[in-house]
Amino acid sequence: MFFVTGWRSALLINVTRLCKSASSEDTIFALSSGQGRCGVAVVRVSGPASVDALRSMAGLTRRLPAPRTALLRRLLHPHSKELLDRGLVLWFPGPHSFTGEDSVEFHIHGGPAVINGILQALGSLPRLRPAEAGEFTRRAFHAGKLDLTEVEGMGDLIHAETEAQRRQALRQMAGDLGQLYNDWSLQLKQSLAHVEAFIDFSEGDLIEDGVLYEVDVAVSQLRVEVEKHLSDERKGERLRSGVQVVIAGSTNVGKSSLFNILCQRPAAIVSPVAGTTRDVVETPLDIGGFPVLLSDTAGLRDTCDCVEREGVHRARQTVEQADLTLVVIDTAQLPQDLLMVPGLLSRYLKMVLPNRKDEQCLLVLNKRDLLPKSHIAVIQRVLQQNPGLPPLSILSCHNKEGLEDFLTLLQDRIKTLCGDPLASSPSLTQTRHRTHLQKCVDALAQYYQYRDTDLALAAEGLRSGLTSLGRITGKVGAEEILDVIFRDFCIGK
Amino acid sequence: MSLARRLLVRQHFLSDCFVRAASNAARLKYDVVVVGGGHAGTEAAAAAARTGAETLLITQKIQTIGALSCNPSLGGVGKGQLVREVDALDGLMGRAGDRAGIHFSILNRSKGPAVWGPRAQIDRGCYREFIQSELLNMPRLTVIEGSVEDLLLSAADPEQPGKHKVTGVRMANGGGEILSGSIILTTGTFLSGSLFMGQTTSPGGRMGDPPSCAGLSHCLREVLGLKVGRLRTGTPPRLVKDTVDFSLTELHLPDSKPVPFSFVNKHTQCKPEEQLPCHLTYTTPGVDKVVRESLNVNSHIHQDTRGPRYCPSIESRVLRFPGRQHQVWLEPEGLTSDLVYPQGLSMTMPPELQLRLLREIPALRRVEIRMAGYGVQYDFVCPTQLFPWLQMKNVQGLFLAGQINGTTGYEEAAAQGLWAGVNAGRIALSLPPMSLSRTESYIGVLIDDLVGRGVTEPYRMFTSRAEFRTALRPDNADLRLTPRGFEEVGCVSWQRYQEAVRVSRGLGEALSALQSITLSSFQWREKLGHFSISETKSTLISGKEVLQYKDVSFDLLASAFPDILSPYLEFSERLKIEAVYQPHCEKQRQEMERMRKEESLALPQDIDYFSLPVSLSDEVREILDRARPSTLGAATRLPGITPAAIIHLLRFVTKVGVTTGEAAYMQVRGPKPDCWRGASVHERDREKATVVQS
Repeated sequence: MFFVTGWRSALLINVTRLCKSASSEDTIFALSSGQGRCGVAVVRVSGPASVDALRSMAGLTRRLPAPRTALLRRLLHPHSKELLDRGLVLWFPGPHSFTGEDSVEFHIHGGPAVINGILQALGSLPRLRPAEAGEFTRRAFHAGKLDLTEVEGMGDLIHAETEAQRRQALRQMAGDLGQLYNDWSLQLKQSLAHVEAFIDFSEGDLIEDGVLYEVDVAVSQLRVEVEKHLSDERKGERLRSGVQVVIAGSTNVGKSSLFNILCQRPAAIVSPVAGTTRDVVETPLDIGGFPVLLSDTAGLRDTCDCVEREGVHRARQTVEQADLTLVVIDTAQLPQDLLMVPGLLSRYLKMVLPNRKDEQCLLVLNKRDLLPKSHIAVIQRVLQQNPGLPPLSILSCHNKEGLEDFLTLLQDRIKTLCGDPLASSPSLTQTRHRTHLQKCVDALAQYYQYRDTDLALAAEGLRSGLTSLGRITGKVGAEEILDVIFRDFCIGK
Repeated sequence: MSLARRLLVRQHFLSDCFVRAASNAARLKYDVVVVGGGHAGTEAAAAAARTGAETLLITQKIQTIGALSCNPSLGGVGKGQLVREVDALDGLMGRAGDRAGIHFSILNRSKGPAVWGPRAQIDRGCYREFIQSELLNMPRLTVIEGSVEDLLLSAADPEQPGKHKVTGVRMANGGGEILSGSIILTTGTFLSGSLFMGQTTSPGGRMGDPPSCAGLSHCLREVLGLKVGRLRTGTPPRLVKDTVDFSLTELHLPDSKPVPFSFVNKHTQCKPEEQLPCHLTYTTPGVDKVVRESLNVNSHIHQDTRGPRYCPSIESRVLRFPGRQHQVWLEPEGLTSDLVYPQGLSMTMPPELQLRLLREIPALRRVEIRMAGYGVQYDFVCPTQLFPWLQMKNVQGLFLAGQINGTTGYEEAAAQGLWAGVNAGRIALSLPPMSLSRTESYIGVLIDDLVGRGVTEPYRMFTSRAEFRTALRPDNADLRLTPRGFEEVGCVSWQRYQEAVRVSRGLGEALSALQSITLSSFQWREKLGHFSISETKSTLISGKEVLQYKDVSFDLLASAFPDILSPYLEFSERLKIEAVYQPHCEKQRQEMERMRKEESLALPQDIDYFSLPVSLSDEVREILDRARPSTLGAATRLPGITPAAIIHLLRFVTKVGVTTGEAAYMQVRGPKPDCWRGASVHERDREKATVVQS
C-alpha cells in the first residue's frame, strides 16, 4: 500500500490521519507580558520560523545560544538594521518549550515604542504573524504541554485579553475606522454571496452574468480602497505621548473638524455655534509613524463667559508649550482684496502666536469649498511673493479637498521636529489589523487571477479575503452568505 | 409469517438469494432494522448489510422502494458531490443513476471542477427497479412489507450515554415484534404528515400512500421526549406530455458524452444518442394573477410552518418576488413515460386553479394534468439531538436519517442513510461508531451542520456550505473516501477498493512523472508550441507546473513525452484538475488540520454547562447547553462562542484519535474485545471476487 499512502498524502487528501509535522503551522508572536507600561516586557515567538526570527533579530548568524539560557544581545530590525533595543534572548528548541514547538523569547525594555518596534519587526519577517487570542495556549494544549488545571488560569488571562480587545473594538466601532472595516466586510460579504449564488444556482435559475460584472467592480474598488488605507501613513491613534501638536485659531474656523479628521474619529464636538470647544481636548496620534499628542483648543476671542475665558487661557498656555501649532483660519475671514491676504495672515498669526517661530507653525486655510477656484490660485501666487509667512495649506474639512497635501506637509514637519526613527511604532492592534488587511488584499488578487478560468478558485479568493477581514470585524459564516443569496435572488430550482 | 405480509417479488428476483431472504424473514431478531424504503432507508439497509450486519428493511410497499417522490432527477451542484461520495462509499445511488439516467449533464462546466455538478434526469421506473433488484439480492439483507407501530424500549445501559434503549419494533395490525438493538428510522415526511391541496387537508406523507407512523410519532414525542419541529414542502402537478406545445419552449440538450455518477462505471446505461432533452419556458403575468386569486382557497400557503427559501412553491415565489418571470423546466419522467414534470411549479392551490395557472403559460395552453400538485407538512426530529454518527444521544441504538432530520432532497437523504447504516451496523457488531469530518467530505459537512446547528428550514446541500470546497471535489470523492471506507469503515467492497487503489496509484505515478520532467521556459515553448509561459522565468519548470497553465492539457504533454506520460492518458482530466488545485489545497491544509484537531477533542455529552465551575458567561452556557456540541470543533462553530470560552472548555475535553466523537462514546462504553468482524466479511467478498476473476 506504499504507493497509495504516498500518493494520498501528496494529494492532501489523506484527511483521516493527523499530520504529525509541526512545520505546516504558522509561526506566531505576541507580547506575553501584560500590556501597558512596565519595566520589562516579554515577547514570545512560537513555531518553525522562530529560529529564523531569533537569528535575524539578534544578529546570530552562526551559533545559536545554548537552549534555555539567557543571552544579552542588541536587537536589530531585520531589514533596516536599526537598533531597536538591547535585551535578553532565550532559545527553547521544541519540544522542550511552552508550546512544544521551537520558541524564542525576547525580554526587552517595557516602553511602548520598544515593544511596538519589536513586534513590527517580527511582523515584517516571512511566515510570522501576530497570534490570535488564546493561540499559544491552544498550541500548548495540543502538544500535551498543559496541565489541565493550568488551562483555567490561562483562560482567565485570555479572557482579560479578549475583553480588552472587545472594549477596544467597541471604541473603534464608534469611530470612522470601525465603520470603515465593517463597510468593507459587508461589501465583501455581498460580493461573495453573489458569486456563490452564481455558482450554486445560476444553472436552472435566473441569475444573469451581470451579477458577476457587478462583483468585478465592487471587488476592484474594495481592493483599491484597502490598499490605499494600508499605504496611508496615518496610522490612527497611538498609546503614548509624542510630539505636541496644537490646533489654534479664532472661534468657528473649523479647528475641531480638523482635529476629528486627523484622529479619524469624532473626538471633539463640532457645531456651528462659536465657542463650542471650551477646554483643551487631547489625543495621542500616530502620524506618518511618529507619535503625536494632538490638542484641540478653544477658539481665541474675548468673552464674558467665565468658563470660556478659562478655556481661552488654557488654549494660550497649550500653544506656548507646543512643538508645532496648526493655525487655522477660515476663508470667510479673508479680505475682499486678495492682495491684502498676507497682511491679514500676519496679523492673525501675531494674535494666535505672540512669540512665533516659523518652524513651529503651519497655516491652515479652511473652508476651501466656499472659495471660488480662481481665488485659490491668486492667493497662492500672492503668498509666493511674501516669503515671510509660514507655509499655508488651503483645504476643506467638509469635502476633504486639499487634505492630502496638508498631511504630507504636516508629516514632513513632524519628521523634522521628531528626528527619532525609533518612534515608528503602530499600536499592537494595528499590527494585527495590518496583517489581516494585507492578507485580504492578497486574497482579492486571486479573484481576478481565476475570474475567467475557474470561478471556484476565484470565489476562494473572496472567501479567504472575507475570513481575513472577519478576524477584525467578526466572523461571517456560511449561513449569513446564504441569507444574502436568498434575500437578493429568487432561487427556484 | 404473521409478523408481516410476505413480500411478493417478480419472477426474475427468484434467485437463490431470494430463497435465503425468505428463510431469514422468519427470524425474529436482526442486527439492524431499518424502517422506511426511501432513499435514506435503502442506503441505510444496504450499508448496514455491507458492514456485515444481518439487516431487515421494513417498508409499507415493496413496489415503492426507491421511488423518486418528487423531481425525476438526481445530482446537481452540491448534490452531485453527495452522489459521488455515496458512491465512493459503495452506496447504491450513483449506480442507480447511471442505470436509470436519460439525460446527463455536468452543471457549472465553465466554473471550475470543484463546483461541477453531475446531474441526470431519471427514468422513475427504471430507478426503482434497479434499487429493488439490488436490495432484494443483497446478502444479509431481508426486506418485508409492513408498518411499524411502536418501538420496544428497555432500561438504558448505564455504561453508555442515553436515558433509553431500543430493543426492537412492534409491527402494526398485530404483526408481532421484531427484536434488534440497532434501529434506523427513515420515515421521511410520514411523521404526523398532512397533505394540502386547496382548502382540503388529509393525513399522509405522500399522495397515494396511506398515512402511517402515528404510533411512532407518539413514541418519539411522548415516550422518548424528543424535540420535534414542523416543516413543509410541496410537489408540482404532473402534466400529460402530448398536451404540451414544445415548439414554444427552449430546447436543452444533454451532454453529448454522458459522464457516469459512479466511479465503477465507464459508461451510462443510456446511449448518448438515446438521451431525451429538457425544455425551458417561463411564467407570465397571468400566472401571478392566478396565484393572487387563489390565496383565499389555499390553506398551505397561510401556514406558519417553515418552508425552504429555495425550491419554493410558485405561490411563494410570486409573493416574494412579484412581477418577475420565473423559469419553468419541463423535464421528462422516463424514456417511455407520457408525463412531464414542471420543475419550478410546485403548488398547493385547488386543482381547477392549478389548471388555470398552467394554461397561462403559452406552451401549456392546452395542457392536461395527470396528478395535481400538493403540499406536505410533517414533523422532523431536531437533529441537534443526534451524535455525529446519527444515533440519538438520548436513546441507545436508535438512529435517524433523511427527511426526519429536517433535510430535503434524495441525495441528502441517501448520504445520511448510508452513514446511519454504517454506524448501526458497526454498533450491532460491537465496533465503535465513526464520524466523517467536514475536512474530508460533503457528507461530513451535512451531518456536522445538522447535529451542530440544527435546522430552521429544510436543509439542502450547497457547495457554499463546504469551507474546503476546493479539496472536496466530485472528481476525487473516491480518493477521499473509498480507501477509508474499506480499511476503516468496512462498507466498501474489495473490488471497488482495488479500483480506487489502482486509480490512486496511477495518478500518483503520473504526477511524479510530470514532476520529473523539467525544462526551461524556452524548451517548453519549443516542445509545445506557443503558449503563454512567462518569458522572464529563468528557473526550470516542471511538467506539473506547465499543466497548471490554462491552455495546456495532459494530452498535449503526453503527445510531447509519449514514453513517460502515455500510460496515464486514462487519467487525463483528473490529472489536469489535480495539477491546478494542488497548490490551493496546500494553502488550506493548515486550516484543515486545525479543524481536524479540534474535531478530535470530544466534549462529554452528560456535561452540565450550567454548573461547570469555570468562568463562562450565562449566555455562553445557554448556547452550549442548547447545542450540546459533540466536539470542541463543533463548539467553535457555534455563533456566540468566544475564544475564551473555548479555552475554558479545553479543560473538559477528552483527547482522542482522529475519528472523533465516537471516542467519547467508547470511553464510557469501554473497548470491546471483539475486533473488526467487518474484516471477515470482506475476506469472504475477496475470496468470492477472486473466484469470479479466475
